[in-house]
Amino acid sequence: MCTKPDMIPKCLWLIVLVGLCITGNLSLDCNLLNVHLRRVTLQNLRLLSSMSNSFPRECLKENKDFELPQEILSHTQTVKRGLREAFYEVSIQAFHIFSQYTFEPTWKLKHLNQIQMGLDKQLEYLEQCLQEEENENADVKEAAMKYSGAQGPQVHNLELRRYFNKMHNFLKEKKYSHCAWDIVQVEIRRCIYYFYQFTALLRRK
Amino acid sequence: MHLSQNALDIKSLNLILMVVISLVFGVSPDWTESSNEACISKMTLRNFRSILSWELKNLSIVPTHYSLSYTVMSRDEDMKTVADCTNIKRSFCDLTGVWEDIHEIYLTLVEGFRGNMLLVNCTRPFMPAMDIVSFEPPEFEIVGFTDHINVLVKFPLVTEEGLQFDLSLIIEEESEGIVKKHEPKIKENTSGDITYVIDKLIPNTNYCVSVYLDSKDQDTVIKSPVKCTFLHPGQESEASESAKIGGIIILFLMAAFLTSTIVILKRIGYICLRNNFPKALNFHNFSVWIPKLPPCEAMDLVEVISINRKKKVWDYSYDDESDSDNETSPRTSGVGYTMHGLTGRPLSQASASSATSVESQSTDPDSSDQPDLPEAHAELPVIPAHSPWQLEHISEPYERRESPLQDPFSEDSSSTEQSGDRIIFNVDLNSVLMRVPNDDDNNDNDSDNSEEDPLMLLSLPEETVDPEDPHTMESSLLLASGEGTQPTCPSSSSECVWPEDAPSDKSDAVESDADFGDGYVMR
Repeated sequence: MCTKPDMIPKCLWLIVLVGLCITGNLSLDCNLLNVHLRRVTLQNLRLLSSMSNSFPRECLKENKDFELPQEILSHTQTVKRGLREAFYEVSIQAFHIFSQYTFEPTWKLKHLNQIQMGLDKQLEYLEQCLQEEENENADVKEAAMKYSGAQGPQVHNLELRRYFNKMHNFLKEKKYSHCAWDIVQVEIRRCIYYFYQFTALLRRK
Repeated sequence: MHLSQNALDIKSLNLILMVVISLVFGVSPDWTESSNEACISKMTLRNFRSILSWELKNLSIVPTHYSLSYTVMSRDEDMKTVADCTNIKRSFCDLTGVWEDIHEIYLTLVEGFRGNMLLVNCTRPFMPAMDIVSFEPPEFEIVGFTDHINVLVKFPLVTEEGLQFDLSLIIEEESEGIVKKHEPKIKENTSGDITYVIDKLIPNTNYCVSVYLDSKDQDTVIKSPVKCTFLHPGQESEASESAKIGGIIILFLMAAFLTSTIVILKRIGYICLRNNFPKALNFHNFSVWIPKLPPCEAMDLVEVISINRKKKVWDYSYDDESDSDNETSPRTSGVGYTMHGLTGRPLSQASASSATSVESQSTDPDSSDQPDLPEAHAELPVIPAHSPWQLEHISEPYERRESPLQDPFSEDSSSTEQSGDRIIFNVDLNSVLMRVPNDDDNNDNDSDNSEEDPLMLLSLPEETVDPEDPHTMESSLLLASGEGTQPTCPSSSSECVWPEDAPSDKSDAVESDADFGDGYVMR
């Protein structure tokens, strides 16, 4: 049926549709999305490690402590949704920073593009799960937030944004030098790794 | 135009499909590292120890020694040198315990020197949790039995740092194409060897085992070399084998202990006493051992016949003396001794040789003042030296003399007692010497009976006798105690010895004895 020239476009449409349906079906399950999220995140971390395999010694004097808000992770580990929201904020902020990188060599740009693609997928998986949970647990969420006294995701996101603004300002201050970029790459890698560790909690719960 | 639109649609769909497929099935990115560093550094986990190793790209000039230092990227700190990795010739460094937090990013600096000249330096940020590319498998041994296999995995002390890697020990069992995985639990305080039993196996089957460490964050694992074993049927279990070996060892030790104990006891003589006595104490060849009594002196019973003889006072004349059978003049020796004789008549002629005559002569006038001595019994045994006694003659009954024995020279009968057929006389042994008369005496002594063998008794002058002298008193006591000084002769065949042949201790006791020359016995 698909061998006829007239039928090729129809077959292709059919394949795409099946693929989208499969993807759509797969995206509905947060547990499966967590598996994909963990895998994509690990790949991004390895890309970041390969990009920062060399660090000039002279750049060490420009090193800065951006004060990663680790306490967010200790508070959000008991709340799955808060962890996903924090991870979503980290992913989108890191995506914006890497979109400003315009340096050579080519191999670094290639790796950086792959990182952006991976971050985009992370965002996509996280959006789907967050939307799914929001639709199912809307009432439970309101009650939990009311009686537990836990901080809302908005507060955590503000702290994370403040953290990434420091890196933005550092790059501007150093005029986007190689040393500044190397330092920021290392810091973002460290931040993503911390969230990567807690994705195992999302898988177990 | 319709075709071009279809082409564009197809291209876009293909692109979307490519993206979807790549996202669904995943695309392994290109992890090829390209850097301008002079060396390539990597981290491995070997026996749960973090090992940092490096390799130089340019080998034209090789450094002689290296130094490693590090700092924490998130902190504003200076570089810290690793003490165990300063001026080292090897190209790796054990950082176990140095980097406590494996989730931190450490910036490492490797400097290569040749002498004092810095040839190369390499800097590389490391996150141990992510940048350890290989987990080397531990060493292990397997022991196959009938239906199970014991796997002994050699584990070092699992540190807290090692546990952060969240590793799992996987034991793979493969047989006839079928692979099974076993995952022993590794606890925090696990140290030393771990024994894992793979049970429910099929006998007469070959099984191959390999181990490796699996990390959730690592896609690739390093498996150990495969070790295979064939499960023979009827193979005894480990417990029975070990029990048999233990029993054999215990038995051997017990036997060795008993043997050594017996040997020691035998050597010290506690058991199996020696019977290798000296030759002098070896009495095995002695069937009958009869103690040989020392020859004793021949003894015989004698009858003392006293002969009273008149005391003749010498008037200092040398006229011929009238013969008197029974008179004998007291003879004196040159040293002032007075001789007294006791004459005894033998009871039978057949035993003439065995008969003795004892002459008792009267003592000095002062002899009465002498203290009484123990009575000399008529049966006092007196042994002449010149005629050996025959003990068989002793057994012949002696006829008692009816006539009393009298001292022929004794005028004072107060010192003698006569009763019946025997005579008891007191002899002062302090003034007495016993003598065996020889032939010369017999010839010289005319008054004596030829058949008689007189026994001459001498009396010492009083001044020569000191009663207070314990030595002389002792010697006199020796002579007085006839039984003590004159041993009996129980055997008839033994020769009797004259007391003058007695031990020298008696003669030595008498210091005042003089040599009378003509056969007198020294006291």
